Amino acid sequence: MLPLDHVIGLSAILFTIGVLGVATRRNLIVILMSIELMLNAANLAFVGFNRIWSQVEGVPAIDGHVFVLMVIAVAAAEVAVGLGILLSMFRNRDSVNVEEVNLLKW
Amino acid sequence: MIPVPDLNLLVLLPIALVAIGSMVILMGEILLSRADTVLGREVTESFIGTVLAATAIFFLALTLYTSVVSFAAGGVQVFNPDHPMYQLDPFSSLVTAVVALSALLSCALSIAYLSELRINHGEYYALIMLSASGMMLMVAAVDLIAVFLGLELMSIPIYVLAGFDRRKLRSNESALKYFLIGSFASAILLYGMALLYGVSGGTSFDAIRAGFEVENPIAVVGLGLVVVGFAFKISMVPFHQWTPDVYEGAPSAVTAFMSVTVKVAAFAALIRLLAMAFGPLDESLENIFWVLSVLTIVVGNVMAIIQENVKRMLAYSSIAHSGYLMIGLVTGTIQGYSAMLFYLIAYTFMNLGAFGVVVALANRGNDCERIASFAGLARTRPGLSALMVLFMLSLAGIPGTAGFMGKFQIFMAAVNSGEIWLLIIGVLMSVVSVYYYLRIPVLMYMKEPGDESHRMEISSGEGAVLVFCALAVIALGLFPNSVPTLLFGDLDVLNWTRRSVEMFFGG
Repeated sequence: MLPLDHVIGLSAILFTIGVLGVATRRNLIVILMSIELMLNAANLAFVGFNRIWSQVEGVPAIDGHVFVLMVIAVAAAEVAVGLGILLSMFRNRDSVNVEEVNLLKW
Repeated sequence: MIPVPDLNLLVLLPIALVAIGSMVILMGEILLSRADTVLGREVTESFIGTVLAATAIFFLALTLYTSVVSFAAGGVQVFNPDHPMYQLDPFSSLVTAVVALSALLSCALSIAYLSELRINHGEYYALIMLSASGMMLMVAAVDLIAVFLGLELMSIPIYVLAGFDRRKLRSNESALKYFLIGSFASAILLYGMALLYGVSGGTSFDAIRAGFEVENPIAVVGLGLVVVGFAFKISMVPFHQWTPDVYEGAPSAVTAFMSVTVKVAAFAALIRLLAMAFGPLDESLENIFWVLSVLTIVVGNVMAIIQENVKRMLAYSSIAHSGYLMIGLVTGTIQGYSAMLFYLIAYTFMNLGAFGVVVALANRGNDCERIASFAGLARTRPGLSALMVLFMLSLAGIPGTAGFMGKFQIFMAAVNSGEIWLLIIGVLMSVVSVYYYLRIPVLMYMKEPGDESHRMEISSGEGAVLVFCALAVIALGLFPNSVPTLLFGDLDVLNWTRRSVEMFFGG
């Protein structure tokens, strides 16, 4: 069986890649994908932890699995709204570069 | 056969009313826009807007009523006793009532403003109500799943609302920034929740309380990530940079709504989470909150001084107010939490009022944003100017207003738990804040009018909201304790806030 360390390690790596992507990339679509990566890293951690806890207690623990299903639904809603906002921006400006989003500062 | 759990459907009434209301509005808009006449009246765009706003106000008033009833009844009720997720108790009932009231006021404030900006779409009210239902879910949650769902249900409609004036680049930009920062924050929060689940084996607050150990690094990292996620929502320094941009770019009525309700809901949920799932705060967490609170107060107040845009100035002032509120978190006592709740209620009315004046001045599709455009306003709009002075005095914390009473409660709590330095810094920075708050009254009363054109008439909705907020600011400032009123029996806000937080301390 896959040890817990590997699952959580992978999810931590994915989460870090997501954070770095949000911080360094300039393309809005890539930033959106990085945020998705962070959410899915959390999902992976939930599933991994759930697997361990269901063995410890002897009864099927499902909190983590339920959480993952909720997160998937929420992430879909979030992406729908995010792409909508991006589109309305693109129509007004013809660009998805985050550095050109600079009307509001200080 | 699957056993049917003993469900308590009535508990869901406040949140269900808001959610149903938003669906009714969405359907109503489609039906109304297809009809030519309704009850002998011609269907125009502003008629649809008024009808939908009235529907929203009706449902929010029902929610307000049910939550007040449940607060008066007291006691703890959960939806599903086998697996509690949504729990109506004095704390969540009170915060639900505050959220419903401020959403109601925002709807009344928006009717004329939306026509003025030519963005009169019915979805606006539906989105406000959906967001309000998310806040209610978040503050009544006793499980991380419900907290996360509530947080997202609160945030996603507000991303849309911030970009509601979609032909304007500034509004687009505001929505985009809020969306990126907001979803980044939720992802961080979610990862924190995953780690907390990992150490405790359950997502309910009780399970986390049982499984949380300060010695376990994973648990501490999880708690830290959850606090960071909330810190973005309450614009705590150093996670505050989005606030001024978003507040400036969003339509003023939306800014009014989100500046008060999001703060109330996020702070209430944070109090609830910290008190119910983590118990008495650890010394080191208290120290972190101490530093962040001081930073938030100082950065908010200092940056507000140099602003030339009213909405931006109010955004930095709202950051400063977050800092004062965090003093209550540092103390972690019953007095501190009840002072925070009182401060949040006072802040709701004074900030809604201040943004309400900005909304009421919007003219021909443009917001009245520059501070300079307030020059000489007292000649042309004496009533609005007087109200603006009242709200500015209250935000600055001048005695006799709600803002003073809130700060007084917070500082009292700080003194009683020995945080003398927090008191000194808080009072000093309040003095600094008087400078930028009083700039607007000075401009209004002592300068010649510029060539700005303001809207010269005020709609009945805006007028009612502003007068209500002004009365509330004065009432909270003069009588925080027990005033017998004709309508509601005893108006006793201080006692209410104390009653609601007692449950966290085994009361």
